[in-house]
Amino acid sequence: METNDPNTAGRQAEEDACRFLREHGYEIVARNWRTARGEIDIVARDGPTLAFIEVKARSEEGFGGPEAAVHPAKQRRLIAAARAFLHVTACDLASRFDVVAILDGVPRLHRDAFQADEACTPDW
Amino acid sequence: MYARLVSGAVLGIEARPIEVQCDVSGGLPQFHIVGLAEKEVTESRERIRSAIKNAGLSFPAGRITANLAPADLRKEGVGFDVPIAAAILIAAGECPAPPNEYLYIGELALDGEIRRVRGVLPIAIAAGDVVDGLVVPRANGREAALATDVPVYPVGSLAELAGFLRGEQPIEPVCVDRRAAMRSDPPPIAFDLAEVRGQTHAKRALEVAAAGGHNLLMVGPPGAGKSLLARCLPDLLPPMTLEEALDVTKIYSSAGLLEADTGIIRRRPFRAPHQTISYAGMVGGGHGVPGPGEISLAHRGVLFLDELPEFDRRVLETLRQPLEERTILLARAGLSVRYPASFTLVAAMNPCPCGYLGDPVQPCRCTLQEIHRYRRRLSGPFLDRIDLFIEVPRLAVEELLGARGAAASLDVRSRVAEARTRQWERLRDEPTVFSNAQLDGELLDACCTLNDEAQSLLKRAVGRLGLSARAHVRILRVARTIADLDGAETLTAGHIAEAVHYRNAAESIGD
Repeated sequence: METNDPNTAGRQAEEDACRFLREHGYEIVARNWRTARGEIDIVARDGPTLAFIEVKARSEEGFGGPEAAVHPAKQRRLIAAARAFLHVTACDLASRFDVVAILDGVPRLHRDAFQADEACTPDW
Repeated sequence: MYARLVSGAVLGIEARPIEVQCDVSGGLPQFHIVGLAEKEVTESRERIRSAIKNAGLSFPAGRITANLAPADLRKEGVGFDVPIAAAILIAAGECPAPPNEYLYIGELALDGEIRRVRGVLPIAIAAGDVVDGLVVPRANGREAALATDVPVYPVGSLAELAGFLRGEQPIEPVCVDRRAAMRSDPPPIAFDLAEVRGQTHAKRALEVAAAGGHNLLMVGPPGAGKSLLARCLPDLLPPMTLEEALDVTKIYSSAGLLEADTGIIRRRPFRAPHQTISYAGMVGGGHGVPGPGEISLAHRGVLFLDELPEFDRRVLETLRQPLEERTILLARAGLSVRYPASFTLVAAMNPCPCGYLGDPVQPCRCTLQEIHRYRRRLSGPFLDRIDLFIEVPRLAVEELLGARGAAASLDVRSRVAEARTRQWERLRDEPTVFSNAQLDGELLDACCTLNDEAQSLLKRAVGRLGLSARAHVRILRVARTIADLDGAETLTAGHIAEAVHYRNAAESIGD
């Protein structure tokens, strides 16, 4: 299915990412979990750890690849949303931020891509 | 999931035990280091995270808090990398807590390699018998083993440390037999007096300075050999005892100046700072915990100040107190550090700004005023700390081309050692006085018995030269040393005459 609709493309990427994560032993807990301050694409269990996963897809290399799109401002939104998630669900699992970068349909998993304290200080 | 272990912080040449506590809990992935940690300590988060991952270990998810206790003591330096990393690995269950209490110290590189740190020797001494073993960087192994009888485990990388904690990869402890190390051959003589041509007079003065621990000022034109003479002095002193060597090694360890794997320092230090040296460079200081200055790095050795009047006057004046007390207290808000500073001062200067005053060949181009101003840079109280003043004249052609000097350092050293032994015997009941240079007041009188001839010569000299009470004291001290070199208990006219001679040159410097 070829489409240029950004929303549809994003959906498709998240579907692919979920399948990919399940293959890696993740257990999907929630998808597109929203708060006013940000949205988490996928929340999943990886063994004893809770992983907050951001999915980024690009059809071609450029602008530093899909990983570059998870910039500090984006990281801060994810951290705020994750904090809200832990609060609302009263969860006290150790958590981690992962990124699934899909380039031209090929997914790459970055475990522990960034920490909650790093993006707290803006680096620009 | 909690872990605690022991590390240490260096404060001068002392060390304090630091407890490293680590808690790994649920929540967002965050890593905090608390406990009055300086910037270089909080920066260790990045090193620790990368090192754990690159060592093939897993960095725990969730919230990590590391605390360095006591929290009111300022922590600086990079030595906490390894203890914090080990505490994280234990708290996260990556490694089991070892059954023994070890002390950990070391810096991490991003690839998980463990790098050497400064101050391991003081920490090892302080940890002494409190812990069951020390885990130190491989390059610090010999240094740590010098000080303690508990096993010292040298580790090269974080992966090795993890293997050790899991009991999978035993590490052979380093052992250093310090008594045997001191018994082996002493370091060879670096600068031999036999290499210096002529200057018999100056060589004799060096021998007296070495024998009695007297401070010495040499005055002479450029190129007369003043610096070379000064460099010979450390090797004229008797070889360091184990305690002295440990003292010196501790200071160099704290300053981070020990070369990897050196173990104990056995050569007496020779420090020759440049004239532009700052106040902090000379007596010690710097941000955070004050570091040792040149006077402490010269402890048990020689501090050589070439071109003495070119030094900042304020810097020279700060030497007055340590020259008396043989120690320096660097007091800062909330923390003060004491370093030993027992050194022999050797100073050199030109007789005038152009350097040729009194030279038989080269005419001096200075005006009287210039000469006066040059000499006035040295204060009376500073010159008061110097017992021996000698002129080191330019060598005549015959001397330059003639045979090398007869006095070899090894011969001089054995005479010096005998003279020192006589002093120690005499001063056995004085806990703080070790050499004739420290004699004063009643003790000086008690140590110096003059025969009649000596008595009358001294009286005449004081009258004729108009010597002050201080000059009188210095003549007696130096005469005592000369008699000790001579193997005589009573001072004779010959001893006094030589001592007066070392004073005479002082008058020309305007003391």
